[in-house]
Amino acid sequence: MIPSSVLAAPVVTSTEFPPFGQDPWWLVVLKVVAIFGGVVVLVLLTIWGERRVVARMQSRLGPNRVGPFGVLQGLMDGIKLALKEDIMPTAADKAVFFVAPIISVVPAFLALAVIPFGPEVSIFGTRTPLQLTDFPVSVLYVLAVASIGIYGIVFAGWSSGSTYPLLGSLRSTAQMISYEIAMGLAFVGVFLYAGSLSTSEIVSAQQPIWFAVILLPSFVIYVTAMVGETNRAPFDLPEAEGELVAGFHTEYSSLKFALFFLAEYVNMVTVSALATTLFLGGWQAPWPLSTIGDGMLNQGWWGLLWFLAKVCLFLFLFIWLRGTLPRFRYDQFMKFGWKVLIPASLGWIILVAGFRVLRNEVEADAVTLTVIAVVAVVVVFAISWLAELARERRRAREEALLQAEEAQWAETRQTHPVPPMPGERFEYTPRARQTVPSALAGDDEEGPGA
Amino acid sequence: MVHLAVPMAETLTFPSLQYRAMAPILIVLGAAVLGVVVEALVPQAARRAVQLAVTLGGLATALVFVVATPGSELGVVAGGTLAIDGPGLFLQMTILVVAIAAMLVVAERRVDPAGDAFAPRASSLVGSGEEQEQTRRGWSQTEVWPLSLFAVGGMLLFVTANDLLILFLALEVMSLPLYLLAGMARRRRLLSQEAAMKYFLLGSFASAFLLYGSAMLFGYAGSLDFAAIADAFRDKPGQLGLQVIGLTLLGAGLLFKAAAVPFHMWAPDVYQGAPTPITGFMAGAVKVAAFGALLRVMYVALGGAAWEWQPAFWVIASVTMLVGVVLAVTSSDIKRMLAYSSVAHAGFLLLGVVAFSTAGLSATMFYLLAYGLTTVGAFAVVMLVRGPSGEAGHLSSWAGLGRTSPVLAGVFALFLLALAGIPLTSGFTAKFGVFAAAIEAGGVWPVIAAVVASAISAFFYLKVIVLMFFARPGPDAPAVVVPSLLTTTAIGVAVVATLLLGVFPQAFLDLASGSTPFLR
Amino acid sequence: MNVYTPILVLGILAFGFALFSVVVAGITGPKRYNRARLDAYECGIQPTPQPMGGGRFPVKYYLVAMSFIIFDIELVFLYPWAVMVDDLGLFGLVAMLVFLTNLIVVYAYEWARGGLEWD
Repeated sequence: MIPSSVLAAPVVTSTEFPPFGQDPWWLVVLKVVAIFGGVVVLVLLTIWGERRVVARMQSRLGPNRVGPFGVLQGLMDGIKLALKEDIMPTAADKAVFFVAPIISVVPAFLALAVIPFGPEVSIFGTRTPLQLTDFPVSVLYVLAVASIGIYGIVFAGWSSGSTYPLLGSLRSTAQMISYEIAMGLAFVGVFLYAGSLSTSEIVSAQQPIWFAVILLPSFVIYVTAMVGETNRAPFDLPEAEGELVAGFHTEYSSLKFALFFLAEYVNMVTVSALATTLFLGGWQAPWPLSTIGDGMLNQGWWGLLWFLAKVCLFLFLFIWLRGTLPRFRYDQFMKFGWKVLIPASLGWIILVAGFRVLRNEVEADAVTLTVIAVVAVVVVFAISWLAELARERRRAREEALLQAEEAQWAETRQTHPVPPMPGERFEYTPRARQTVPSALAGDDEEGPGA
Repeated sequence: MVHLAVPMAETLTFPSLQYRAMAPILIVLGAAVLGVVVEALVPQAARRAVQLAVTLGGLATALVFVVATPGSELGVVAGGTLAIDGPGLFLQMTILVVAIAAMLVVAERRVDPAGDAFAPRASSLVGSGEEQEQTRRGWSQTEVWPLSLFAVGGMLLFVTANDLLILFLALEVMSLPLYLLAGMARRRRLLSQEAAMKYFLLGSFASAFLLYGSAMLFGYAGSLDFAAIADAFRDKPGQLGLQVIGLTLLGAGLLFKAAAVPFHMWAPDVYQGAPTPITGFMAGAVKVAAFGALLRVMYVALGGAAWEWQPAFWVIASVTMLVGVVLAVTSSDIKRMLAYSSVAHAGFLLLGVVAFSTAGLSATMFYLLAYGLTTVGAFAVVMLVRGPSGEAGHLSSWAGLGRTSPVLAGVFALFLLALAGIPLTSGFTAKFGVFAAAIEAGGVWPVIAAVVASAISAFFYLKVIVLMFFARPGPDAPAVVVPSLLTTTAIGVAVVATLLLGVFPQAFLDLASGSTPFLR
Repeated sequence: MNVYTPILVLGILAFGFALFSVVVAGITGPKRYNRARLDAYECGIQPTPQPMGGGRFPVKYYLVAMSFIIFDIELVFLYPWAVMVDDLGLFGLVAMLVFLTNLIVVYAYEWARGGLEWD
């Protein structure tokens, strides 16, 4: 009677998750404004930082005129964009074209609602965690919201009524959904260890040691996937200007374009913040510092500092990658996602979970399990290697077959080798002792137009 | 882990699984998964042989396990979701036998000079150069085998489901492969694809009906379990709206699969468009599965509400028979005629269901066994009569077949007589059983309708026989292809079963009545 | 206060900001009519006419979408199990391995048949 008993179990639809959801209304507004403003400022600084750092990597100076060190460059660019003509192409689907940038940017901000920026602090005498809100499934919420952002890109490309944006948006969505799987699989390792989907609990579960250390493969996969997920170099194929001009936002100008730009950078901040939360211990101080003064650096507002430092580390990584790596080709990129990242993360999860469960249940010792795991990994690699080898050989055989056929064609035509005409094929005629082209007998009474 | 919003049960209790009782289902589904592995790993040239071995091996093993199920294993298993009982095992056995016969026909390659009955690549464009190239290279779509196995697995689950959720799940596992298989014909591909599309769209509607009906019944009974729903009907009067809507929608979903009027529209198009071996498989095995599930739902879960559904079902049964035979008379394509005949048979079978008695149950099950095997044989014969561009579907081209190939025509005549219900064939015994059960249950008028329908049906069955034996072959008379051992075996099994169940039916009647009643 | 309310507040702020930007862009910028500028951008050549209603998407795209859905559903199954892995123990692990085996079989099939090839 499983179904009935499960369905009959009391379902608690809790909208309470202490200490969250207990702030007075003014504090909520304050936090919302702080997060929104803080992220916008961080984005402006990132844009400036990116241009400066990339410039340095290329032995240039980068923008240095507006404000001290050119810090205000991003802001000024935004104002400039606001004064540019807002073009609505004639072929565009007006309503969707208008809505797309909004759909793109709002979810980018929303994902930050559940990121813990620090421990409990006191703001105007009220104790409150440095986090807007949290609930038992907040990581799921982040994934859900992030997926909505993809609609903005699909709508933008589709509604533009133009070839390049359409292709760019198709690429973009294919890319994002492909890497979302690898990203989601990387999370599973974290959930295995944290036993929760709530961001604040995941942070506190990393008390002695960060998940980046014990789940290094998951971490590496996540970092790779997050670069693909945000369409950043070396995975910035949707914006491959040599092929697709500017991708899905080719037809956008003025502030609508700025919103897509903003969304991309906010997404960078979001995935970096998520990486920090899930793998780098969130707002907790890094190891040698965390031991100072009985963990005093893990108290109060210090957390915000560590959190920002870690996020900036990831943002720098994004910039660094862009400065150094060439762009992937589309097929290479998809192949990497589907044939490397997904199987690798799947295998890793099975390994981790098996290790954990067997140690708990059977009380097998770690050494035996490690040996088994290593053997399993070796076997898997050997099988995949053999499979690949067989595929190569088959491909070579097919290639040879094709070449032989082509040679046959060339012989018959006694001219330049050309492929057969539609409905034509070769038949060996014994009397003439040669193969001649003949019309293929129509063995189906229905043509394509039937 | 400090704050858990959903309070945990103190200890998690895991369902215990009775692997022996579930073995047939697990074997068939396991073989299906193995088939997918074969598709992935075995090279093209060897694939067909391996798939054939996996499919027939899996089905045969499952059949052995079904037949050898010890009585001690019977019961409601897997946490109450499956009922492995007498009727369940009898129906599983029927499905497996019919499926094995159908798979033998599916495997036939000698009939069509281009290969088997399936398009080399169902995904390539109709009439394209790509398709011609694939035909020339002799490719075949070996996915047919795992798909069929998944369908059979779903059917085995469908007739033993003791829970509305499992019922829906089984329906989908059974239906989805069939939608695909219907669209894979080598000849007349556009017709086949159209059939698949229609089948899929209408089938999705039926699934939605079933699901929505389940939701209503869950709302009424507070459980998805058949036994609990039955208890609710006994102990919980009121909420007539939920009861009636749930019952109607659930019934509609099941009657769609059974091809009963007014949910029969898909049958002629799909039967005609699908590759003929698959048509035989659908007509035989799906009918068994659909009626098996219908029997269990109506007898076990909705038995307490028999006074609500019985009157409606009497009407549906009568209308189904009459509509089926009248439309069959008017059709001039052999596959369409058999399709309408299957609609009519759905009506006869419904008489047994609606009788709502042990006699009705065993008579229906016997009918399913007889009808399933005869149908597979009939469609196998249809496959063998071929014109220059594939099967000779039109009735006129069957003229004079009795003179040119008397054996085949004789076999087909036997099947037609069995479908008509002439004595000394399985059809007579089967019909007699359901009619008797229906009269016992007070359905005199429906039985009169059934007798009328049988008389009309004899007309068009005999029309074909007369055409075959007493008409002159036309100028474009089709050739009869000599099949390989595979199809010959299948037809032979069908012939033997048709005669055996007609002449010496007692052992099987005893088996059917010994299998009753349903456990709950 | 409901834990979801702050999200609504943040959403309203973000939406207001986005809407404001989109509307303001139409007001602050100049408007100089130019037919060529309103045409679809295609590197200066005559733009390719677009099919009505955006046309059809290439079939390969559907393949990616379908594969995505399969794996995304897999994730949905994996998450609750991962959270409760210690309580579910060996039973949960075996059940999950059976599920993953089915999935890997399908994945291998798709791979072997070229469903994961892009060009």
